[in-house]
Amino acid sequence: MIDFTLIINRLPELLYATGVSLMLAAGALLIGSALGTFLAILETSPSQVARKTIRIYTTILRGTPMLIQIVFIYYIINNWLHFSAFWCALIAIGLNSSAYISQIIKAGIRSISYGQIEAAQTLGIPRKELLKRVILPQAIQTVLPALGNEAITLIKDTSLASMIGVAELFFAGKVIIAQTYDALSVYVIVACIYLTITISLSYALTLLESKLSYHATDKKSF
Amino acid sequence: MLQIKNLSKKFGSKTVLHNISCEIVSGSIGVFLGSSGTGKSTLLRIIAGLQEGDSGELLLNNHALSVQDVGMVFQHFNLFENLTVIENIIFGLHKGRTQMALSHAEQIAHDLLNRYGLKDFAHKFPDELSGGQKQRLALLRTIAQKPAVICFDEPTSALDPLLKTHVAQTLIELSQSGYIIVIATHDIQLVEQLPCIIFLMRDGAIVQSAVSQDFMAHPENYQEIKKFMYHS
Repeated sequence: MIDFTLIINRLPELLYATGVSLMLAAGALLIGSALGTFLAILETSPSQVARKTIRIYTTILRGTPMLIQIVFIYYIINNWLHFSAFWCALIAIGLNSSAYISQIIKAGIRSISYGQIEAAQTLGIPRKELLKRVILPQAIQTVLPALGNEAITLIKDTSLASMIGVAELFFAGKVIIAQTYDALSVYVIVACIYLTITISLSYALTLLESKLSYHATDKKSF
Repeated sequence: MLQIKNLSKKFGSKTVLHNISCEIVSGSIGVFLGSSGTGKSTLLRIIAGLQEGDSGELLLNNHALSVQDVGMVFQHFNLFENLTVIENIIFGLHKGRTQMALSHAEQIAHDLLNRYGLKDFAHKFPDELSGGQKQRLALLRTIAQKPAVICFDEPTSALDPLLKTHVAQTLIELSQSGYIIVIATHDIQLVEQLPCIIFLMRDGAIVQSAVSQDFMAHPENYQEIKKFMYHS
């Protein structure tokens, strides 16, 4: 049976840990989006060296478990950098996410009709301006649902940070279970909190999708 | 005058343009006529600077043709889909080769939209326009740059017969304004409506050329063009 008294009593701890999970997810998403967009731009550039380097990066990060990447950064790289467990997890999840986001945005960029790029060439528009004003806005709008899925996956992946002692939601749940031996009640409330976050995020993304539609935006200025 | 001298182009081992030479004087229309795959679109892309020829020369008034001398209206218009009608024109003027001040670019864009009947669509997006309106916008975006040469790749392929007459009229007006108009097409109905120089292309080479009025008066003197126009 689910012990509601236990849930109510330990809720403040769980909500605090939820805040840690959200900060971890937000930070990792920020790193993942910024780096992923940069990698996608480089991967669609004419430079063969850049394309090959990024392919190796994404192959390694997508081909190995995130847990190993977190542990690798925490135990090996952190020997020199001396970051806290939170920062190690944030960096590891962010880097992992950048590999996936770069592939999503690359697909978005490739979906833009090549004719628009040629039209810009005949008008003498530099690639940087074309990316900023035409390609990325269209690409991101196209891949927003896929980016939303990646954000939702990333929120759930933050639970892996518990393996190096980050006091996020899943870790807090494990501590309460160790004290009360009531795994069912704790995991139910932890799952409900994750579900609430992911449902809210899905809703926010749907709103963002309609806001970002260029038909819905006001007249832009250059 | 636009001069093309001994222009050749290969893709791998396949020769797509073979020793093309021709001249089109200012204020006139040159039509590269031919079936699909004869190299006319490649020729246009080389003139517009989108591709390079392997050998040969392109001259405008006896100087090497530069990309800023040429504008291109594409077969599928290639409008910037996330920019409004007016932004499609402003973007090229403000951020493109001319680097024009924003206020000046806006004024030019407004003037062009007024003059060519697209004023009421200024804040619409390209996917809200008809085929004819899209083509007009693609043309305005190009002429806003004030090129000496305007290339049209299959300008009537996406349009209905009524609009083809409009396009022909616009092309004539543009040439009368002093532009050098270069067209790649297989549309004989369009060619019949234009006072132009016809260059018939086959297998990457010009097989025959004729001034359209001469051809209309004496088609028997231009057997190759006659065969393409009336028997293809």
